[in-house]
Amino acid sequence: MPLGGIPEKEFVNREEELCFLRRLAGLRRDGLAANVLLLGGRGSGKTELLKQLCREVFWEGREVVPFYYSFRTAALKSATFAKDYFTRFVKQYIAFVKKEPLLADDAGTPLRRLAPLLSSEGLQWLIDAADELEEHTDGGDLYGQVLSAISAPAAAAKRGGRPVLVMLDDFSASGRLYEARQGDSPGLVSLFEESMNNRLCPHIITGSPAAGLEAIFSDPALRRETERMRLLPLPEDAACDYFTGLLRKMQIPCERRAALLLAGRVRGNPLYLRNMAKAASKMKKKVFGEDDISECYCSDIAFGETAFYWTSVLAEGIPSRGLARTVLKLLMLRLDKPGMENAERLSRVLGVRDADLGTTLDLIEANGLGLCDDPVFDDFVRALFMKQIEGRSDDDIREALGKRFGEQTDDSRFEMVIPMTDQAELVAARAVEQIGRNLSLDQDLLNSIQLALVETCINAMEHSGSYERKIRLSVVSSAERLEIAIESPGRHFSLDSLKETPVEEKLAAGKKRGWGFTLIRKTMDDVRVERVNDRTRVTLVKNIRLVRDGKALK
Amino acid sequence: MSPSSFQVTSRLIDDVAIIYPRGYLNNLSGENIVSECARHAQAGVRKIIVNFRDTDLINSIGISFLLTVMEDLRDAGGTLCFSGMKKAHLDTFEMLGLTKYFLLFTDEDAALRALGGGQV
Repeated sequence: MPLGGIPEKEFVNREEELCFLRRLAGLRRDGLAANVLLLGGRGSGKTELLKQLCREVFWEGREVVPFYYSFRTAALKSATFAKDYFTRFVKQYIAFVKKEPLLADDAGTPLRRLAPLLSSEGLQWLIDAADELEEHTDGGDLYGQVLSAISAPAAAAKRGGRPVLVMLDDFSASGRLYEARQGDSPGLVSLFEESMNNRLCPHIITGSPAAGLEAIFSDPALRRETERMRLLPLPEDAACDYFTGLLRKMQIPCERRAALLLAGRVRGNPLYLRNMAKAASKMKKKVFGEDDISECYCSDIAFGETAFYWTSVLAEGIPSRGLARTVLKLLMLRLDKPGMENAERLSRVLGVRDADLGTTLDLIEANGLGLCDDPVFDDFVRALFMKQIEGRSDDDIREALGKRFGEQTDDSRFEMVIPMTDQAELVAARAVEQIGRNLSLDQDLLNSIQLALVETCINAMEHSGSYERKIRLSVVSSAERLEIAIESPGRHFSLDSLKETPVEEKLAAGKKRGWGFTLIRKTMDDVRVERVNDRTRVTLVKNIRLVRDGKALK
Repeated sequence: MSPSSFQVTSRLIDDVAIIYPRGYLNNLSGENIVSECARHAQAGVRKIIVNFRDTDLINSIGISFLLTVMEDLRDAGGTLCFSGMKKAHLDTFEMLGLTKYFLLFTDEDAALRALGGGQV
């Protein structure tokens, strides 16, 4: 039972979420809340939130029984899973009743040895439930076994008179529950329906990748009565305080500007911040200043806990070493040459057969590695590629990452939101004009970038069909390129769906519209269209070469 | 390029109408050009010059309206010329492969001369 977790004081900026989840049992009982599907990027603190909640509910009352179960360490063979799930539930239940956490953590004690204790606490019905499960097991009734186990919290809530707050972590793995061999029972997870529909038994479900969870919840049986809660990255000031606080505990004073820069670099991800603080400690830093950021960051990404974390994620999701190399090559190729999606070309560049490429792409998708939008993961991929594919030395890797880190720190990022109203695209165009002027971009180049941006905004406005009439833009400039991302809600489209018709044919057919994407493609060096949750993101890339004493030209 | 709000004005020299789109040529302003040209055409004008000297930006929808003007005028047996186009405008037309469909002139005088003093 996860009653540890990080100290409450260090768990910052999640008060609202925690407050809501703490009240979930009451709200759900009264029909004012649904089950919660907790979504967030890897390392955003989903598991930690559950741990904090579990600890609070365990110690701070007698009305709601917390039950935490992680599928990460669970056996996925359904018979073993059923026994494990049920046993853990019973142990956590009695631990709560007796307020003795050790009862939950004592994995070695068989369930029958707890019978006297259960009996003395008036929990005979838990012994009956255990007997029922055993009957199903002895009778070879797999369905009954799994259902009995999964329904135990709901049954306990009914019999015991106390709601049970079920917290299911790493739930994306539940889709892989199997009967005799992997993949033979894809629908077993839907057995959670009955338990989830019980209002005395609210479920909070989380895991990574988000795409895996969403896939499971595409099942209407589970989707019903479930609402989404998104855990966002820590905002800058909270991330800064968090990092500084961690270092303070390690007796390392930290310059605020350094903490802010690092927080920005890891986009407020608590896991990364914690790992970087540990890296600083391992490096025996006396003080953490701006000069230390690159060293700690690169070391952690390439050889530290962040490297270990991502290596584990890859190893877990991609069991074959051969495929893992192909996945790594493909991820690196996407970083180097974004937008290269043509299967034939990819097969050729990677030197793999079409079928292997398909498997590789599926693995990337299934593990949520394709749309990570995580610069730290990107740097990890670079480091791993240098190590495993190029065979470069540790010092080489550190140096290369350090160089890149220095270049990226010069990036400047602007973000804005424009309404989908007439001529709003001009506001975006003007903003980009000023950014271009700051970079001394050549006027012709700037005109073409503005035109592409205007066309992309118009396209988003015309085709989105969303009630949220807003377009989000971000402009990132570096010494090498200008990248503009335009995100719009609503109807999705892909470049493949846009067929380019020759001008003659178009004019002959009387079609006067449809020039926008031709202009965009011809103007920019790279155009990517991706689906990011419920939004379409079009990324326009222009390679530039800054000339310090004169104009910047392509 | 510093796109500003759109205005369209015109003047008549002999039998040639000269249209001055000013600012940002998009869907709304494109309609203004179409109606201004139509007004002259209804008055019997068959030679039109669109002078883009004060036009900041032409987007793809603006281009589609220019194609409409060209088609309408051609159907009426007239001629459409463009003048005063900035490099950015020309680049846009070039990229779309449209330059060959329009008569392009560096300035208004050249366009007027080409229209032969009123002879279609």
